[in-house]
Amino acid sequence: MHALVGENGAGKSTLIKLVVGAYKRDSGEIYFDEQKVEFTSPAQAFQNGLSVIYQENSLIPQLTVIHNIFLGVEYFTSLGILDENKIFQQYLAITKQLGFELPPYEKVRNLGVAEQKLVEILKALIHKAKFIIMDEPTASLSENEIEHLFRIIAELKSKGISILYITHLLGEVFKIADRITVLRDGKKINTVPVRDVDRDKVITMMVGESLKNAYTSTCLERKKSEKVVLKVENLKRKPRVKDISFIAFAGEVLGITGLRGAGKTELSRLLFGADKLEGGSIIIDQKQLRFTSPRDAVNYGISMVPEDRKKDALILMLEMYKNITLPTLEQFTNRGIISSSKEFAATRKAVEKLNIKSSGMKQITKYLSGGNQQKVAISKWLQAEPKVLIMDEPTQGIDVKAKIEVYNIVRKLAESGVCIIFISSEVSEVLIVSDRVLVLSNGEIIGEFKNGASQEEVMRMILKGSK
Amino acid sequence: MEKKKDVILPSYWYVISKNGILFIFLLLCILLSIITPGFLSWANILNVLRQSSIIGIMAIGTTFVIIGGGFDISVGSILVLTAAMCVGLQYKVHWVIAILIVLIIGALIGLINGFLAAKIHIPAIIATLGTMTIVRGLAYLYTGGYPLYVEAPDFAYIGTGYLGPIPFPVVLLVIMVALWQFVLEKTRFGRYACALGGNKEAARLSGVKVDYFHILTFVVGGLMAAMSGVVYASRLLSVTPLAGQGYELDAIASTVIGGTSVSGGEGSVVRTLVGVLLLTIIANVFNLMGIHIYVQYVVKGAIILSAVGFDTYSKFGQ
Repeated sequence: MHALVGENGAGKSTLIKLVVGAYKRDSGEIYFDEQKVEFTSPAQAFQNGLSVIYQENSLIPQLTVIHNIFLGVEYFTSLGILDENKIFQQYLAITKQLGFELPPYEKVRNLGVAEQKLVEILKALIHKAKFIIMDEPTASLSENEIEHLFRIIAELKSKGISILYITHLLGEVFKIADRITVLRDGKKINTVPVRDVDRDKVITMMVGESLKNAYTSTCLERKKSEKVVLKVENLKRKPRVKDISFIAFAGEVLGITGLRGAGKTELSRLLFGADKLEGGSIIIDQKQLRFTSPRDAVNYGISMVPEDRKKDALILMLEMYKNITLPTLEQFTNRGIISSSKEFAATRKAVEKLNIKSSGMKQITKYLSGGNQQKVAISKWLQAEPKVLIMDEPTQGIDVKAKIEVYNIVRKLAESGVCIIFISSEVSEVLIVSDRVLVLSNGEIIGEFKNGASQEEVMRMILKGSK
Repeated sequence: MEKKKDVILPSYWYVISKNGILFIFLLLCILLSIITPGFLSWANILNVLRQSSIIGIMAIGTTFVIIGGGFDISVGSILVLTAAMCVGLQYKVHWVIAILIVLIIGALIGLINGFLAAKIHIPAIIATLGTMTIVRGLAYLYTGGYPLYVEAPDFAYIGTGYLGPIPFPVVLLVIMVALWQFVLEKTRFGRYACALGGNKEAARLSGVKVDYFHILTFVVGGLMAAMSGVVYASRLLSVTPLAGQGYELDAIASTVIGGTSVSGGEGSVVRTLVGVLLLTIIANVFNLMGIHIYVQYVVKGAIILSAVGFDTYSKFGQ
């Protein structure tokens, strides 16, 4: 039982994808069972006894438990008909061995998250897995369910099955792992037996110095604005946002951090009117907002750069300039007719301001690099002149150089008086760009730090909040 | 490494897939003018254009619906209902009023289609399957199952008259194509239609009123179907409730042959017109060469599959 730990973005998930062949690797070799292997797809790895249980489950919700488990290894009678009986016998055997039971003919969509995880484990075993990789399996489980899962993992261990357990919850690691490997910035920091280290040591290994070297903070003493632009009171939307209140000042970069699943994205969507509020209020410039759609939010002066830029921020098949002018198209019309020259002028300005690299304004957005796509996703809001700009994981999946450019853009916008809500699970970057940092855990704010707090302090707060 | 990532291919596949239909069309015309005597005669050209006008006007609306990410198979039924009413209403009101009424009815049916698709979230093809059936039924109810006739020389001008040397329906088609191409390229509605067809959630999170504009694409679909119904009625001066069957398929086929993405987000009214002309020309040439109409179906189907296959396969590759 080997645990792989590291901050968000340390390279854990990428590593797994390389191992099973979901991504192509640039170099390096993989040995499995003392043999050099070359998996070209997860399916191939799966057939060779290497299973991955992802955070989101990969079961087919409409099928029954038993049919999911045996998908791909069905038995047939001599007539070519599915041999349900044999499948069932095998199912009984394996569940008895492991000491738990699931309703075999229940449809998977009717099961809870924890039970679905168990189905995935069974599926891996039926497919003769020798090595099971679990990517944050406890992310959406309750205490009891986690206990149950751990018992099963212990059972698997005793049966000679190796497990690679990926997590950033250190508590779990010390409960079940034999050895720990720490990753940071795509590099292995160390592999140690669990009994040789304590929690603090591991945290230090996880945090390191990382980004600080790449970016020297420009957060000099700025003239602080006293003007409260955004006030949020008792925001609620189940299940991820429980009770959130805070204020933000004009010209401030307010960082919000926390683990994945803490409710950060859900919070940003609530502030932008993308989801309906279940309770609480949002007040901008002392005006209570009543909104039902992002359109309303924009009219009130709130803009958002969503987390998933391909899915939520950009229209990839459209030209770059069309994406940039989309939210403010009415500014580019003359009696209802779009003026291309106005559009191009604004695009040119945005390209200059944010240093967007493309083959031209008419380049199809899909063909821009990730960093430049992100800049497009930001620049489309500049014309709207928002009072509050929410950025959800704005540096996800872009390279270090582009990240630094994004930080500079954020600072510059803040200096021009925009209030920026900078949401990120990378603690180091939140500390670099923000004037103030809020820590979110389980849909509630559990702590606040001023600029100048150490990364370790914040990390400890985050990890403490998560059991 | 860094540099390479930033400079990007202008992707000549993209250019070809966008304009390929024009090349094919021109090539076909040249080829046909060589092997088929009489193909390039003025009379035949006008004939092709006139035959294209009804489907052409209808397909403009279809183009908007498909660009917006929707689908509308009710337009053939809308054609027959509006054509029948356009004839029937003339017993009671002036033909101009009759036309206005049926245009509004077409737009209203489009509004219902859009509402069902955008607000009730019925998949567009099923929603319009429902309204297709209902509207066809209404056409039967309105006509009582019998053909309706009208004698109105003024009204007949729309479908059979000439403006100078050019048939009026062709003039109408050209004006409509130009108008709607302009709307598509130069107005917020056109831009938003592309945006929401390309990625509805991203458009919504950009502050676009997506449902409103999504519904509007269906309204254009219904409106243009009604306009094609008016031309149809005026051309024949009689309408049976059986008319217009399969027209929706021709309109959809022309649209996708014209390179409008089946999954929405991009397309062009002008290229749809080329698609319509292509289908008409093939039918025309087959007639000139005396090939049986059954063969035409097979060829038409093959063309649709190759056009759409090209689009989807090249996208899959990315």
